[in-house]
Amino acid sequence: MRGLLRKKWLIILIGALILIAAVVFGAFPGSPLNKTLKPVGGIAAPIQRVVKSAGNTLSDFWAAITDGIAIRNENEELRAEIAELQYQLTQSEEALIRYEELQDAFHIRDTFSNYDIYGASVLSREADEWFSVIRIALGNTDGIMLEAGDSYAVVDVRMNLIGRVIEIDTNESKILPLTHEGFVVSGKVNAVNGAGVTITGDASLKNDGLCLVTGIDPDVILEEGTEIVTSGDGGLFPQGIPIGTIESVDYSDPLNITATLRPYTDIADLNDVFVMVPFSVIEEQTELRESGNLTPTYESEVSEESGS
Amino acid sequence: MNRGPLIRKILVYAVYVLLIASFQVTFPRVISFGGQVADLMLVFTVLAGYLFGFKDGAVIGIAMGILRDYYASPPITGIDGKPVVTCAIGLLVLFLAGTVGASFFTVKMNRNVLFAFAAVAFLTLCYKIAGHLAFFLWHRLALGTTYNLTFGDIILHSILPQLLLNLVAAVPLILLLKFAGPYKKGINTALIDEEKGGEQLWLTI
Repeated sequence: MRGLLRKKWLIILIGALILIAAVVFGAFPGSPLNKTLKPVGGIAAPIQRVVKSAGNTLSDFWAAITDGIAIRNENEELRAEIAELQYQLTQSEEALIRYEELQDAFHIRDTFSNYDIYGASVLSREADEWFSVIRIALGNTDGIMLEAGDSYAVVDVRMNLIGRVIEIDTNESKILPLTHEGFVVSGKVNAVNGAGVTITGDASLKNDGLCLVTGIDPDVILEEGTEIVTSGDGGLFPQGIPIGTIESVDYSDPLNITATLRPYTDIADLNDVFVMVPFSVIEEQTELRESGNLTPTYESEVSEESGS
Repeated sequence: MNRGPLIRKILVYAVYVLLIASFQVTFPRVISFGGQVADLMLVFTVLAGYLFGFKDGAVIGIAMGILRDYYASPPITGIDGKPVVTCAIGLLVLFLAGTVGASFFTVKMNRNVLFAFAAVAFLTLCYKIAGHLAFFLWHRLALGTTYNLTFGDIILHSILPQLLLNLVAAVPLILLLKFAGPYKKGINTALIDEEKGGEQLWLTI
């Protein structure tokens, strides 16, 4: 036995076979293997936060030195701008009161008003082109949960779509980015009765930060710069979230017209994101929790079992 | 091994593994080029294995693999078409990188810095080719969809930038392991003792 263990290739082979078995077993919904990495977070997560904080401090320090003169000039301009903005703010407040009166009067339905927004900072980004899950600091402890078959839209500060939540843990969530080939969302041209399209991530476009647009009606002429927003079909995403603009269209095959879309947001530039959770889901989960049928622990299990 | 060097080895490896893994997933843009990110975790694992032997390669591969799966596990499209977060793929990749890296050209050749670069290049190529092949087969056979990358895309936009980045990243990591690494003078003496009587040779640079 000792002789066998000295053979490196045998050890590599046995190790590889065990790990392949773990990968396959771990891919099954609800596999207990997926929980084995949770204790790692006890050490890895705080250290990564320290690295992030140290990096940001260094970056800020460097920026403070290089941008010193520019900041001084900018400061003068900003003071003038603040005075202007204060005047505009007063006017906007009046306009808001009028808008709310109108909204009540005409029963305008603001789709996003049905959603609660949870802010979170980005903890880690992709390690390479395949290891591309993004972790954010938002978990069950923040009151956000994920039930089987559900997912929540993730947007940036300008409400542009970034991706969707695929797993929620106690203190953090995992996001599938918009450019990943597993990502699919129904979209439409941002116009009244705009044509519907399907936006997916694509392996060949991912490195350029682009998405693939399919399902384009042959009668529809898509132009470069056309804005695409979520259509609301499928129920996962609310209608009207900006996704990006059309960058190019390929009409070479009339039966399969495709286009490329450049998302508005590059996730590599983001430090904070926002998760949109429907109020109906929050209420439902609150009721279940109060009745004792839904606990954060159970919730984590549910999200793992769903696998999406 | 005496307690002092052992503690030094464990501490140095622990610090490097945690910092390198954290840095790669926290500031990927700083180390990216042509849409690819320098794979510090892979390079460090290969170098630890190549320079300091099989045991170091295997242990660092496992530790780094666990962190890779924790920080940025690869989401794959399941048979039902829904993306699934997987576990153990990073562990598999980096365990193989560490152990194969430790055995790279060590039977008839001295372990040396030049061949450390060759080991990094070889294992980066293996990783990228195996990754693309696995995704191609998964899309083609399991999902029945097409893998949209052409051969030219794979070479020009995936393998070449990654190879270049990993080779550049290998320079500071080799210096780190040699001059501020887990072993005094950058040499694993246990490796020398182990290989003295065998057919293998030990690090000369």
